[in-house]
Amino acid sequence: MAGIPGVVGVLVGWLSVGRVSVLTAMNDSITFLHSSDWQLGMMRRFLGPDGQARWAQARLDAVMRIGEVANQTGAAFVVVTGDVFEHNQVERQTILRACEALKRIEVPVVLLPGNHDALEPGSLWTSSQWLGHAPEHVKVVTDTLPLEIVPGVEIVGAPWRSRRPVSDPAAPGYADLAPAPAGTKRILLAHGQLTSLSGGMSDVPTIDQTSLEAAVTDGRLHYIGLGDRHSTTEVTDRIWFSGTQEVTAPEETHPGNVLKVTLTADEIEVESIRVGAWHMVEHHAELYDEESLTALEDWFAELPEKERTYVRLAADGSLPLPLLSRLDAMVDAQGEVFASVERWAKFWTVRPAPDAADLDALQLSGPARAAMEELRQALAGGDEGAGAALTLMHRLARDAG
Amino acid sequence: MRLHSLTLRNFRGVKDRTVDLPAIGTTVVVGDNEVGKSSLVEAFALVFDFPDDSKSTRIRDIQPVGQDVAPEVTVELTLGGRELAYTKRWLKNRSTELSIVDPDGRRQTWTGREAHNEAERLFAENVDPVLWQTLMVGQGQSLVLPTPADAEPLITAVTAESGTPVDGASMPLVTAVEHEYLRYWTRGGRPHGEYAKSAAVVATAELAAEQALKAMDEVVADIRRAERLALDLDDLSSRLGDHLKSVEDLRERKKATDEILLRRDSIRSRAETARARLENHTRTRLERERLLADVERFTKADAELAERRTDAETVARKAADTVHTAEAALAEVVELKDERRAQVQDAERLVSLLMDRAELDRLTGQQAELVDVRVRIAAAGTVLDGIKVDDATVAELEDARAKVVEARAALAAGVPEVLVRRAGAEAVELSGTGLDAGSGKKVPGSLAEDGEIELLVSGELVVGVPGQVEVKVRAGGEAATLRARVDEAVRREKDLLKKARVKDLPAARELLRKGDLASAELQEARRTERSLTAGGDPAERIALLAARLGIVEGEEPAEERESKQPAVEAVPGQMSLFEQFEPDENAFDFEDFEVPAPMDVAELAVAQRRLEDARSELAEVERLLADAEFAAAQARKAADEDRSEAQQARARAELAGERLTAAVEALEAARAVLADEDVDSAEVEATAEVESVLDELTAVQEQVDAAGADEVAGELADALAVATRLQGERDVLRDSLRTTEGRLEQSGRDGLATRRDSAELDLAAIRAEHESLKRRADAARRVYETLGRHRAEAQTKYSEPLQNRIEALGRSVYGPSFRVWLDDDLAVAERELDGARLRVEALSTGAQEQLAIITRLAISHLVSTGDSSVPVIFDDALGWSDKGRLRDMGALLGRAGDHGQVIILTCMPERYEHVPRATFIKLEA
Repeated sequence: MAGIPGVVGVLVGWLSVGRVSVLTAMNDSITFLHSSDWQLGMMRRFLGPDGQARWAQARLDAVMRIGEVANQTGAAFVVVTGDVFEHNQVERQTILRACEALKRIEVPVVLLPGNHDALEPGSLWTSSQWLGHAPEHVKVVTDTLPLEIVPGVEIVGAPWRSRRPVSDPAAPGYADLAPAPAGTKRILLAHGQLTSLSGGMSDVPTIDQTSLEAAVTDGRLHYIGLGDRHSTTEVTDRIWFSGTQEVTAPEETHPGNVLKVTLTADEIEVESIRVGAWHMVEHHAELYDEESLTALEDWFAELPEKERTYVRLAADGSLPLPLLSRLDAMVDAQGEVFASVERWAKFWTVRPAPDAADLDALQLSGPARAAMEELRQALAGGDEGAGAALTLMHRLARDAG
Repeated sequence: MRLHSLTLRNFRGVKDRTVDLPAIGTTVVVGDNEVGKSSLVEAFALVFDFPDDSKSTRIRDIQPVGQDVAPEVTVELTLGGRELAYTKRWLKNRSTELSIVDPDGRRQTWTGREAHNEAERLFAENVDPVLWQTLMVGQGQSLVLPTPADAEPLITAVTAESGTPVDGASMPLVTAVEHEYLRYWTRGGRPHGEYAKSAAVVATAELAAEQALKAMDEVVADIRRAERLALDLDDLSSRLGDHLKSVEDLRERKKATDEILLRRDSIRSRAETARARLENHTRTRLERERLLADVERFTKADAELAERRTDAETVARKAADTVHTAEAALAEVVELKDERRAQVQDAERLVSLLMDRAELDRLTGQQAELVDVRVRIAAAGTVLDGIKVDDATVAELEDARAKVVEARAALAAGVPEVLVRRAGAEAVELSGTGLDAGSGKKVPGSLAEDGEIELLVSGELVVGVPGQVEVKVRAGGEAATLRARVDEAVRREKDLLKKARVKDLPAARELLRKGDLASAELQEARRTERSLTAGGDPAERIALLAARLGIVEGEEPAEERESKQPAVEAVPGQMSLFEQFEPDENAFDFEDFEVPAPMDVAELAVAQRRLEDARSELAEVERLLADAEFAAAQARKAADEDRSEAQQARARAELAGERLTAAVEALEAARAVLADEDVDSAEVEATAEVESVLDELTAVQEQVDAAGADEVAGELADALAVATRLQGERDVLRDSLRTTEGRLEQSGRDGLATRRDSAELDLAAIRAEHESLKRRADAARRVYETLGRHRAEAQTKYSEPLQNRIEALGRSVYGPSFRVWLDDDLAVAERELDGARLRVEALSTGAQEQLAIITRLAISHLVSTGDSSVPVIFDDALGWSDKGRLRDMGALLGRAGDHGQVIILTCMPERYEHVPRATFIKLEA
């Protein structure tokens, strides 16, 4: 870390904050935080207006917690590898609140434009709204020129210039680089799916992992911070997806973290630290009797932090009419408790299973009984509409009786 | 229940009356208004409803007005198999007594409140109130169709017969289903309430989302556009840079070739100069040749024209002489013509004078004749003015004369005629009154000697001889009257004669004849006057002619004056007939006119012949003058033409001279500059110089071509044009890019992506809510329709027994096409007759009443087999039916009595005369 003695002067000239980080950098190693996919301004239809507002705030809170982590870990700077904003055309409020959150991070922050907030015409990054409010210690990577973020640490980046890149979106960041000068640690910031992880499903060009590893091997790069994958993912010991700071979908396996990266002369240490507060859970229930219904109730009961949890519920099976009513009531009630409980329509196939005893219990006779019987037979014949009608009629008869 | 008897005491207008009713069959209770028919029904109700101590106004109302008596009702009936005798008295001496005989013959009695309670209990147990109300039709209620759905006995009967139990237990569910359905749908099946609103909200949200999406799509399109523009701009800038480099290369090349081009331009300039000089020399040669030709041509023309001029002038002089001669001849003829014209004028004056004299003579004669005629007119006029007699006057006079003669004859016949004769000497004196000596002769006072006189005595005649005798003769009684008539006739005749101004009748006749003659004379004279003055007044013309001829006026001859006396004969008996005639003062006065002696006619003929001769001579001279004038004009015209010809020839000759002079001067001037012999050699020299310079130009052009100097300039110009175009395109691209970026900057400020996401999020939530509502609404509809269908089927089956009964009864009245449909309340909703199906509200009043009665009889029939049957009571019904219907309805009411108790209260028993086997009970007042 030969360049470290010069860090103070450089940083003081470039930043108005960060003395703590500089002191940390005075050690034999350099520590920084890696985050990505903040996607500020994102909306989730399943949350509803109230849940949406709280969740949006949670994503900002997580950013602020990154600042706290930086303080606690002595990180010299923070890098965010793409998709800071959900879109280039987010509302002004989102930008201003993001700027406020960024101010809570006391070390330099380097932001990389990703596919959501590409450096395209009309980009947020070149807008007066951003330029007029962005904190001074925040740097946006707008080209591929190396940036010495602190003495001895050089950052190169490959900002997205279009949402439709025509080639490996990381390549411009390091393709023409010579090996890093001795004593200089070089960090690549890139955004996109890895060819090795995309499974060939990506509709935009992917990042060639082999080339990245080669760049690490030949000493051009010492750490590669990637964005776009919301789950924290270690690709190699020096290639990482940090994942989103706060969960965005139930499919994400390890969201809500920030990576603390410490580079020493030859070693690297990466630690995942949770900063998110929300949960998005997917659950599938088999419902066929009272016991299974009770099990579902228990499952709901055991979930922690319900007000910050979204549940996507899939279910199949068939239930007698009284149990079906109970299931409806339970899901409705849990919807009030949790941030949101969504019946996953695509995987929701719970059908009413009225039996003669159900109908007898209602003590109906004459036309009412005949009507119910007709609906029951229609349901048995696969008429889904008859199921809903039967359930309703059952409830009305029960309430009327 | 069966009613057996009702007894009313002190009940409204009824003092004490018992009506016994047969337990089975139809009973018609007949009574006039106010006899208490309706009180029977009322009494039955009150006896069960009000205890004897009731103070209800309904009880007080039944007490007869002004009577302090106790209303009392006794009813005997069968109820639930028991025979009841139930008596109740209100207001005074209140009491209630109930006597019951069980089917097994056991009798029980109650009194007071117990009796009331027991009766009430038994009634409630055995009489269904709905059925009772349904089958008891009060006054004015006969049109009301029964709605008997809640009548338990009917339900029991219908259920038993149809095998379909009434589904009363399901009613809360039916209500709930309907309530649920109406939350989402109208009865007509249109979305309603929350569901309908939700659809509208979805539409609004969709619109908002669509707009937000569209706005965002426009942003994306702008981004794409900007990217494309940036790429195009880069590409264009690159191409422009390359192009500008090639422009610079061309500029360098052009610099190198410009020198050769300058040299070529110099040689071109020299060649132009040499060519111009050659052209100058060639022009000079041609001009010299033209000048020489002109001099030769003009010299020849000048000689020819001078000769022509001389000839023309000679001809012109000759023509002038000819004109002079012709004009002298013309002057002579003019003079002769003036002479002849003077002669004619003299002859004309003489003829005119002579003709005036002849006319004067004629007019003078005419004037004399006119004077005579006017004298005759005046005389005849004067005669006519004096004669006052006409045909009528003569007739009147003749009549008066006849009357006188007639009166006299009568007098003569009616009075004594006395002949007095003087026989002696003694004087005989006559006197008396009313004496007539005949024809107006005067009666003398005495008679002459030997004189005699015949007298008619109409008064008294006294004939006396003085001193001797005096005889008095007196006329009889009528004499005076006859005398008076004669006097009257005579007086009338005298009056007429006086009026006509004649002496007697013959004079009048003569005067009438004279008047006719004068009238004829006047007409003849006036005719003559008119013919004489037809051509104007001769006197005026005579005066004119006399003045023109200068004749002096003289005295009129005296004899002519005398001849003007009127030639009218004196008329006998005419009174001063001509005394009033005076000559006409206005007549023409010839006093100063001297009539000239008549002219000799031959003199005029001679003068006229002379005039004709003079005129012939003048005409001849005028013909000569015309010929001379024509000849002179011809000569003048020919002379003018010849003179003009000479002038033109002179002008042409002078012009030719001038042109010749000018040509000679021009040639001389040219020769002074360059002699004729030098002209050709100068041109040859110039030609050689031109050829030399062109050779030089060819040589330098070969150098230009070799260096491509001409193309370089073009290429450079083209390249500069392309550069300009490319720069323009680049500027346009830049502007477009800036504009697009400006828009994007703005859309970034608007947060369009957030708006779109927000709108989509809202839409998703609203759609989810709507889908949920839709599922619920569809379910509600499905349940509603399914249940409704089953209920309708059940209802149809359930109502069938009553429907069948109504139709069976109705067909006996209306025939086989009669059908009815019942609603949920088992009330008749529609009726069909002869294929026409109508809502009952649409039926006529009579049909509604008949249907209401039929329905009640059908209900009664249905429940008649059970213990809970009740009598059917009609108070004053069938008021709306015609006779035919009354017959059919009567038959129906009679048959209804076969299996139940039917009680009809009416004041019009004839309505029910067709009820078979009916018991009629007459209530007397």
